[in-house]
Amino acid sequence: MTTSTEAPEAHRPSVVLDTLKRLGFGTVVSVPDSWLGEILIRIDQEPGMTLVRATHEEEALAIACGSRLGGVRTALLVQNAGVLSMGAGMVSLAQRYQFPLLMLVSYRGTPDDPVFYHVPKGRATEPVFRGIGLAHACTDRYRPIGPQIEHAATYAEEASCPFALLMGREDIQW
Amino acid sequence: MVTNARPTRADHYRALAGSLPSRALVVTSLGNASYLWASLHHAPENFYFEDAMGLTLPLALGLAIAQPDRPVVAVEGDGALLMHMGALVTIGAMNPSNLTILLIQNGVHAASGGQALTNATLDLAQLARASGIKHAENLNAPSALATRIAAAEKRDGVGVMVLATEPDVEVVRPPVPFDPVATKHRFMAAIEAPRYVPTLFGGGMLERP
Repeated sequence: MTTSTEAPEAHRPSVVLDTLKRLGFGTVVSVPDSWLGEILIRIDQEPGMTLVRATHEEEALAIACGSRLGGVRTALLVQNAGVLSMGAGMVSLAQRYQFPLLMLVSYRGTPDDPVFYHVPKGRATEPVFRGIGLAHACTDRYRPIGPQIEHAATYAEEASCPFALLMGREDIQW
Repeated sequence: MVTNARPTRADHYRALAGSLPSRALVVTSLGNASYLWASLHHAPENFYFEDAMGLTLPLALGLAIAQPDRPVVAVEGDGALLMHMGALVTIGAMNPSNLTILLIQNGVHAASGGQALTNATLDLAQLARASGIKHAENLNAPSALATRIAAAEKRDGVGVMVLATEPDVEVVRPPVPFDPVATKHRFMAAIEAPRYVPTLFGGGMLERP
Protein backbone atom coordinates (compact mmCIF):
# COMPACT_ATOMS: atom_id res chain seq x y z
CA MET A 1 0.00 0.00 0.00
CA THR A 2 1.21 3.48 -0.74
CA THR A 3 2.13 5.36 2.38
CA SER A 4 2.84 9.05 2.52
CA THR A 5 5.32 10.92 4.59
CA GLU A 6 4.01 14.14 3.13
CA ALA A 7 3.65 16.83 5.74
CA PRO A 8 0.26 18.55 5.78
CA GLU A 9 1.92 21.89 5.11
CA ALA A 10 3.98 20.52 2.19
CA HIS A 11 4.20 22.63 -0.95
CA ARG A 12 1.91 20.55 -3.10
CA PRO A 13 3.29 21.46 -6.56
CA SER A 14 6.77 20.45 -5.34
CA VAL A 15 5.33 17.12 -4.23
CA VAL A 16 3.70 16.68 -7.65
CA LEU A 17 7.06 17.16 -9.35
CA ASP A 18 8.87 14.89 -6.89
CA THR A 19 6.25 12.19 -7.39
CA LEU A 20 6.57 12.32 -11.18
CA LYS A 21 10.33 11.92 -10.82
CA ARG A 22 10.02 9.07 -8.32
CA LEU A 23 7.61 7.19 -10.57
CA GLY A 24 9.99 7.45 -13.51
CA PHE A 25 8.12 9.87 -15.74
CA GLY A 26 10.63 10.75 -18.43
CA THR A 27 8.53 13.02 -20.63
CA VAL A 28 5.92 15.67 -19.94
CA VAL A 29 3.88 17.14 -22.79
CA SER A 30 2.01 20.34 -22.16
CA VAL A 31 0.04 23.30 -23.34
CA PRO A 32 0.28 25.76 -20.45
CA ASP A 33 -2.17 27.91 -18.59
CA SER A 34 -1.54 30.40 -15.79
CA TRP A 35 -1.61 27.70 -13.10
CA LEU A 36 0.78 25.37 -14.97
CA GLY A 37 3.34 27.91 -16.13
CA GLU A 38 5.82 27.69 -13.26
CA ILE A 39 5.81 23.93 -12.70
CA LEU A 40 6.59 23.52 -16.40
CA ILE A 41 9.67 25.69 -15.97
CA ARG A 42 10.76 23.43 -13.10
CA ILE A 43 10.13 20.31 -15.19
CA ASP A 44 12.13 21.79 -18.03
CA GLN A 45 15.06 22.21 -15.63
CA GLU A 46 14.97 18.58 -14.50
CA PRO A 47 17.89 16.70 -16.09
CA GLY A 48 16.02 13.40 -16.23
CA MET A 49 12.86 14.76 -17.82
CA THR A 50 12.00 16.07 -21.27
CA LEU A 51 9.37 18.79 -21.60
CA VAL A 52 7.59 19.14 -24.93
CA ARG A 53 5.65 22.36 -25.36
CA ALA A 54 2.92 21.60 -27.90
CA THR A 55 0.80 24.10 -29.81
CA HIS A 56 -2.57 22.37 -29.20
CA GLU A 57 -3.82 19.88 -26.68
CA GLU A 58 -4.85 17.24 -29.22
CA GLU A 59 -1.38 17.47 -30.69
CA ALA A 60 0.03 17.14 -27.15
CA LEU A 61 -2.03 14.01 -26.64
CA ALA A 62 -0.61 12.42 -29.79
CA ILE A 63 2.96 13.33 -28.79
CA ALA A 64 2.34 11.67 -25.43
CA CYS A 65 0.98 8.55 -27.14
CA GLY A 66 4.11 8.37 -29.30
CA SER A 67 6.35 8.80 -26.30
CA ARG A 68 4.57 6.03 -24.40
CA LEU A 69 4.70 3.85 -27.52
CA GLY A 70 8.45 4.32 -27.39
CA GLY A 71 8.52 3.02 -23.83
CA VAL A 72 8.75 6.24 -21.83
CA ARG A 73 6.36 6.92 -18.99
CA THR A 74 4.63 10.11 -20.03
CA ALA A 75 2.38 12.72 -18.44
CA LEU A 76 0.19 15.39 -20.00
CA LEU A 77 -0.18 18.72 -18.21
CA VAL A 78 -3.03 20.70 -19.68
CA GLN A 79 -6.00 22.84 -18.73
CA ASN A 80 -9.48 21.31 -18.66
CA ALA A 81 -10.41 23.40 -21.71
CA GLY A 82 -7.62 21.59 -23.53
CA VAL A 83 -9.14 18.23 -22.78
CA LEU A 84 -12.41 19.49 -24.23
CA SER A 85 -10.58 20.26 -27.47
CA MET A 86 -8.79 16.90 -27.74
CA GLY A 87 -11.91 14.75 -27.87
CA ALA A 88 -11.43 13.11 -31.27
CA GLY A 89 -7.82 12.16 -30.59
CA MET A 90 -8.79 10.91 -27.16
CA VAL A 91 -11.33 8.40 -28.44
CA SER A 92 -9.74 7.44 -31.77
CA LEU A 93 -6.09 7.31 -30.73
CA ALA A 94 -5.39 7.29 -26.98
CA GLN A 95 -8.36 5.17 -25.95
CA ARG A 96 -8.63 3.12 -29.14
CA TYR A 97 -4.99 2.02 -28.88
CA GLN A 98 -5.16 1.83 -25.07
CA PHE A 99 -2.28 4.14 -24.24
CA PRO A 100 -1.68 4.52 -20.50
CA LEU A 101 -1.26 8.24 -19.90
CA LEU A 102 -1.34 10.30 -16.73
CA MET A 103 -3.15 13.57 -17.35
CA LEU A 104 -2.72 16.29 -14.73
CA VAL A 105 -5.44 18.79 -15.57
CA SER A 106 -5.84 22.23 -14.08
CA TYR A 107 -9.51 22.40 -13.16
CA ARG A 108 -10.53 25.89 -14.13
CA GLY A 109 -14.01 27.34 -13.75
CA THR A 110 -14.82 25.87 -10.36
CA PRO A 111 -16.13 28.08 -7.53
CA ASP A 112 -12.52 28.32 -6.29
CA ASP A 113 -11.37 29.86 -9.57
CA PRO A 114 -11.73 33.64 -9.53
CA VAL A 115 -11.41 34.00 -13.32
CA PHE A 116 -15.04 34.24 -14.38
CA TYR A 117 -14.63 33.37 -18.03
CA HIS A 118 -13.47 29.85 -17.16
CA VAL A 119 -16.89 29.04 -15.67
CA PRO A 120 -18.46 27.63 -18.87
CA LYS A 121 -15.51 25.27 -19.33
CA GLY A 122 -15.63 24.20 -15.72
CA ARG A 123 -19.32 23.42 -15.98
CA ALA A 124 -18.82 21.28 -19.08
CA THR A 125 -15.72 19.42 -17.93
CA GLU A 126 -16.95 16.42 -15.96
CA PRO A 127 -20.05 15.75 -18.10
CA VAL A 128 -17.82 15.72 -21.20
CA PHE A 129 -15.27 13.46 -19.52
CA ARG A 130 -18.06 11.04 -18.66
CA GLY A 131 -19.44 11.32 -22.19
CA ILE A 132 -16.18 10.29 -23.83
CA GLY A 133 -15.45 7.64 -21.23
CA LEU A 134 -12.36 9.38 -19.87
CA ALA A 135 -11.47 7.92 -16.47
CA HIS A 136 -10.94 10.75 -14.02
CA ALA A 137 -10.99 11.96 -10.43
CA CYS A 138 -10.75 15.27 -8.60
CA THR A 139 -7.97 15.82 -6.12
CA ASP A 140 -8.87 16.01 -2.46
CA ARG A 141 -7.27 19.13 -1.02
CA TYR A 142 -7.38 17.70 2.50
CA ARG A 143 -5.30 14.62 1.63
CA PRO A 144 -1.61 14.47 0.65
CA ILE A 145 -1.20 15.02 -3.09
CA GLY A 146 1.65 12.58 -3.73
CA PRO A 147 -0.40 9.40 -3.26
CA GLN A 148 -3.20 10.87 -5.36
CA ILE A 149 -0.76 11.33 -8.25
CA GLU A 150 0.59 7.83 -7.76
CA HIS A 151 -2.86 6.25 -7.69
CA ALA A 152 -3.85 8.07 -10.88
CA ALA A 153 -0.65 6.93 -12.60
CA THR A 154 -1.20 3.37 -11.43
CA TYR A 155 -4.79 3.42 -12.69
CA ALA A 156 -3.63 4.54 -16.14
CA GLU A 157 -1.14 1.68 -16.38
CA GLU A 158 -3.31 -1.02 -14.85
CA ALA A 159 -6.31 -0.10 -16.98
CA SER A 160 -4.24 0.75 -20.11
CA CYS A 161 -5.99 4.05 -20.68
CA PRO A 162 -5.57 7.76 -20.09
CA PHE A 163 -6.53 8.91 -16.61
CA ALA A 164 -7.25 12.57 -15.89
CA LEU A 165 -6.66 13.97 -12.41
CA LEU A 166 -8.50 17.28 -12.07
CA MET A 167 -6.35 19.53 -9.92
CA GLY A 168 -7.03 22.62 -7.87
CA ARG A 169 -4.88 25.70 -7.88
CA GLU A 170 -3.15 24.81 -4.60
CA ASP A 171 -2.12 21.46 -6.12
CA ILE A 172 -0.39 22.67 -9.24
CA GLN A 173 0.27 26.43 -9.22
CA TRP A 174 3.85 26.83 -7.96
CA MET B 1 6.05 7.87 -74.18
CA VAL B 2 6.59 11.22 -72.53
CA THR B 3 4.31 11.87 -69.56
CA ASN B 4 3.93 14.67 -67.08
CA ALA B 5 2.21 12.44 -64.54
CA ARG B 6 3.56 12.71 -61.02
CA PRO B 7 4.89 9.58 -59.30
CA THR B 8 2.43 7.54 -57.31
CA ARG B 9 2.51 6.82 -53.62
CA ALA B 10 3.55 3.28 -54.55
CA ASP B 11 6.56 4.61 -56.49
CA HIS B 12 7.74 6.50 -53.44
CA TYR B 13 6.98 3.61 -51.10
CA ARG B 14 9.06 1.23 -53.19
CA ALA B 15 11.96 3.70 -52.99
CA LEU B 16 11.46 3.96 -49.25
CA ALA B 17 11.33 0.20 -48.77
CA GLY B 18 14.53 -0.20 -50.76
CA SER B 19 16.47 2.39 -48.77
CA LEU B 20 15.02 2.05 -45.27
CA PRO B 21 17.78 1.71 -42.66
CA SER B 22 17.73 -1.37 -40.50
CA ARG B 23 16.20 -0.62 -37.10
CA ALA B 24 13.99 2.09 -38.64
CA LEU B 25 10.55 2.65 -37.14
CA VAL B 26 7.81 3.71 -39.56
CA VAL B 27 4.62 5.55 -38.63
CA THR B 28 1.99 5.82 -41.35
CA SER B 29 -1.18 7.87 -41.51
CA LEU B 30 -4.64 6.40 -41.97
CA GLY B 31 -5.99 4.86 -45.18
CA ASN B 32 -3.74 3.96 -48.07
CA ALA B 33 -0.76 5.54 -46.34
CA SER B 34 -0.91 2.53 -43.99
CA TYR B 35 -2.62 -0.05 -46.21
CA LEU B 36 -0.17 0.31 -49.07
CA TRP B 37 2.87 0.41 -46.80
CA ALA B 38 1.67 -2.77 -45.09
CA SER B 39 1.24 -4.36 -48.53
CA LEU B 40 4.77 -3.51 -49.58
CA HIS B 41 6.71 -3.71 -46.34
CA HIS B 42 4.79 -5.08 -43.39
CA ALA B 43 7.00 -5.29 -40.31
CA PRO B 44 6.48 -5.28 -36.55
CA GLU B 45 8.32 -1.96 -36.44
CA ASN B 46 5.46 -0.32 -38.39
CA PHE B 47 2.88 1.66 -36.45
CA TYR B 48 -0.30 1.98 -38.52
CA PHE B 49 -2.86 4.68 -37.86
CA GLU B 50 -6.42 3.45 -38.10
CA ASP B 51 -8.01 6.89 -37.88
CA ALA B 52 -7.03 10.02 -35.91
CA MET B 53 -6.41 12.11 -39.00
CA GLY B 54 -3.77 14.77 -38.43
CA LEU B 55 -2.05 13.12 -35.48
CA THR B 56 0.61 11.06 -37.25
CA LEU B 57 3.33 13.67 -37.06
CA PRO B 58 2.94 14.51 -33.37
CA LEU B 59 2.87 10.81 -32.48
CA ALA B 60 6.03 10.28 -34.55
CA LEU B 61 7.66 13.19 -32.74
CA GLY B 62 6.95 11.61 -29.35
CA LEU B 63 8.30 8.30 -30.60
CA ALA B 64 11.47 9.89 -31.99
CA ILE B 65 12.14 11.60 -28.65
CA ALA B 66 11.54 8.33 -26.78
CA GLN B 67 13.74 6.30 -29.14
CA PRO B 68 16.61 8.65 -29.99
CA ASP B 69 18.88 5.85 -31.21
CA ARG B 70 16.51 4.59 -33.88
CA PRO B 71 15.53 6.29 -37.14
CA VAL B 72 11.83 7.19 -37.23
CA VAL B 73 10.09 7.76 -40.58
CA ALA B 74 6.61 9.29 -40.60
CA VAL B 75 4.32 9.39 -43.63
CA GLU B 76 1.59 12.01 -43.60
CA GLY B 77 -0.67 13.54 -46.23
CA ASP B 78 -1.12 17.20 -47.08
CA GLY B 79 -4.76 17.22 -45.97
CA ALA B 80 -3.97 15.73 -42.57
CA LEU B 81 -1.07 18.12 -42.13
CA LEU B 82 -3.41 21.07 -42.64
CA MET B 83 -5.52 19.81 -39.73
CA HIS B 84 -2.63 20.19 -37.30
CA MET B 85 -0.12 22.55 -38.86
CA GLY B 86 1.02 23.55 -35.39
CA ALA B 87 2.71 20.16 -35.14
CA LEU B 88 5.34 21.39 -37.60
CA VAL B 89 6.22 24.18 -35.16
CA THR B 90 6.58 21.75 -32.25
CA ILE B 91 8.67 19.41 -34.40
CA GLY B 92 10.86 22.32 -35.48
CA ALA B 93 11.34 23.35 -31.85
CA MET B 94 12.30 19.85 -30.66
CA ASN B 95 14.19 19.07 -33.89
CA PRO B 96 15.16 15.41 -33.31
CA SER B 97 17.72 14.36 -35.92
CA ASN B 98 16.35 10.81 -36.04
CA LEU B 99 12.96 11.93 -37.40
CA THR B 100 12.31 11.97 -41.15
CA ILE B 101 8.93 13.13 -42.43
CA LEU B 102 7.49 12.28 -45.82
CA LEU B 103 4.61 14.54 -46.81
CA ILE B 104 2.50 13.09 -49.59
CA GLN B 105 1.14 16.10 -51.46
CA ASN B 106 -1.66 14.81 -53.66
CA GLY B 107 -3.93 17.82 -53.32
CA VAL B 108 -6.94 15.98 -51.92
CA HIS B 109 -8.20 14.29 -48.78
CA ALA B 110 -7.42 10.88 -50.29
CA ALA B 111 -8.19 8.87 -47.16
CA SER B 112 -11.78 10.09 -47.09
CA GLY B 113 -12.50 9.74 -50.80
CA GLY B 114 -10.72 12.57 -52.58
CA GLN B 115 -12.43 15.72 -51.36
CA ALA B 116 -10.77 19.03 -52.25
CA LEU B 117 -8.33 20.59 -49.79
CA THR B 118 -8.68 24.10 -48.44
CA ASN B 119 -5.51 24.93 -50.36
CA ALA B 120 -3.90 22.27 -52.53
CA THR B 121 -0.96 24.32 -53.78
CA LEU B 122 0.83 25.41 -50.64
CA ASP B 123 4.60 25.16 -50.65
CA LEU B 124 4.79 22.70 -47.77
CA ALA B 125 8.59 22.63 -47.76
CA GLN B 126 8.64 26.39 -47.30
CA LEU B 127 6.02 26.03 -44.58
CA ALA B 128 8.24 23.51 -42.80
CA ARG B 129 11.26 25.79 -43.07
CA ALA B 130 9.25 28.69 -41.67
CA SER B 131 8.35 26.38 -38.78
CA GLY B 132 12.01 25.96 -37.88
CA ILE B 133 12.82 22.82 -39.89
CA LYS B 134 16.01 23.55 -41.77
CA HIS B 135 16.09 20.40 -43.89
CA ALA B 136 12.87 20.62 -45.90
CA GLU B 137 12.62 20.19 -49.64
CA ASN B 138 10.30 19.28 -52.47
CA LEU B 139 11.25 16.06 -54.22
CA ASN B 140 9.83 14.65 -57.41
CA ALA B 141 11.85 11.57 -58.24
CA PRO B 142 11.54 8.48 -56.02
CA SER B 143 15.26 7.92 -56.60
CA ALA B 144 15.95 11.24 -54.85
CA LEU B 145 13.86 10.06 -51.91
CA ALA B 146 15.91 6.88 -51.69
CA THR B 147 19.12 8.88 -51.66
CA ARG B 148 17.87 11.15 -48.87
CA ILE B 149 16.61 8.25 -46.75
CA ALA B 150 19.92 6.44 -47.08
CA ALA B 151 21.80 9.57 -45.97
CA ALA B 152 19.39 10.61 -43.22
CA GLU B 153 21.64 9.30 -40.45
CA LYS B 154 24.14 12.08 -41.12
CA ARG B 155 21.54 14.84 -41.04
CA ASP B 156 21.56 17.42 -38.25
CA GLY B 157 17.92 17.94 -37.31
CA VAL B 158 14.54 16.81 -38.62
CA GLY B 159 14.17 16.16 -42.33
CA VAL B 160 11.00 16.90 -44.30
CA MET B 161 10.52 15.71 -47.86
CA VAL B 162 7.46 16.82 -49.75
CA LEU B 163 6.48 14.28 -52.39
CA ALA B 164 4.08 15.43 -55.09
CA THR B 165 2.01 12.43 -56.11
CA GLU B 166 -1.06 11.46 -58.03
CA PRO B 167 -4.07 10.99 -55.72
CA ASP B 168 -4.75 7.36 -54.84
CA VAL B 169 -8.34 7.24 -53.69
CA GLU B 170 -8.96 3.59 -54.55
CA VAL B 171 -8.61 1.80 -51.26
CA VAL B 172 -5.86 -0.81 -51.05
CA ARG B 173 -6.84 -3.96 -49.19
CA PRO B 174 -4.47 -4.29 -46.23
CA PRO B 175 -2.70 -7.65 -46.07
CA VAL B 176 -2.77 -7.89 -42.28
CA PRO B 177 -5.41 -7.16 -39.64
CA PHE B 178 -5.28 -3.58 -38.44
CA ASP B 179 -6.36 -4.20 -34.88
CA PRO B 180 -5.05 -1.11 -33.07
CA VAL B 181 -4.10 -2.76 -29.79
CA ALA B 182 -2.38 -5.63 -31.61
CA THR B 183 -0.48 -3.08 -33.69
CA LYS B 184 0.68 -1.32 -30.54
CA HIS B 185 1.70 -4.47 -28.68
CA ARG B 186 3.50 -5.90 -31.73
CA PHE B 187 5.41 -2.66 -32.16
CA MET B 188 6.37 -2.32 -28.50
CA ALA B 189 7.50 -5.94 -28.33
CA ALA B 190 9.61 -5.49 -31.46
CA ILE B 191 11.48 -2.52 -30.03
CA GLU B 192 11.69 -4.14 -26.59
CA ALA B 193 10.05 -1.14 -25.00
CA PRO B 194 10.00 -1.08 -21.21
CA ARG B 195 6.77 -2.55 -19.91
CA TYR B 196 4.78 -1.77 -16.80
CA VAL B 197 5.43 -4.17 -13.95
CA PRO B 198 2.60 -3.92 -11.44
CA THR B 199 2.82 -4.39 -7.74
CA LEU B 200 -0.10 -5.58 -5.70
CA PHE B 201 -0.88 -2.26 -4.05
CA GLY B 202 0.24 0.27 -6.61
CA GLY B 203 3.58 1.87 -7.30
CA GLY B 204 4.50 -0.23 -10.34
CA MET B 205 7.23 0.99 -12.65
CA LEU B 206 8.29 0.59 -16.29
CA GLU B 207 11.04 -1.98 -16.65
CA ARG B 208 13.00 -3.42 -19.57
CA PRO B 209 11.72 -6.86 -20.59
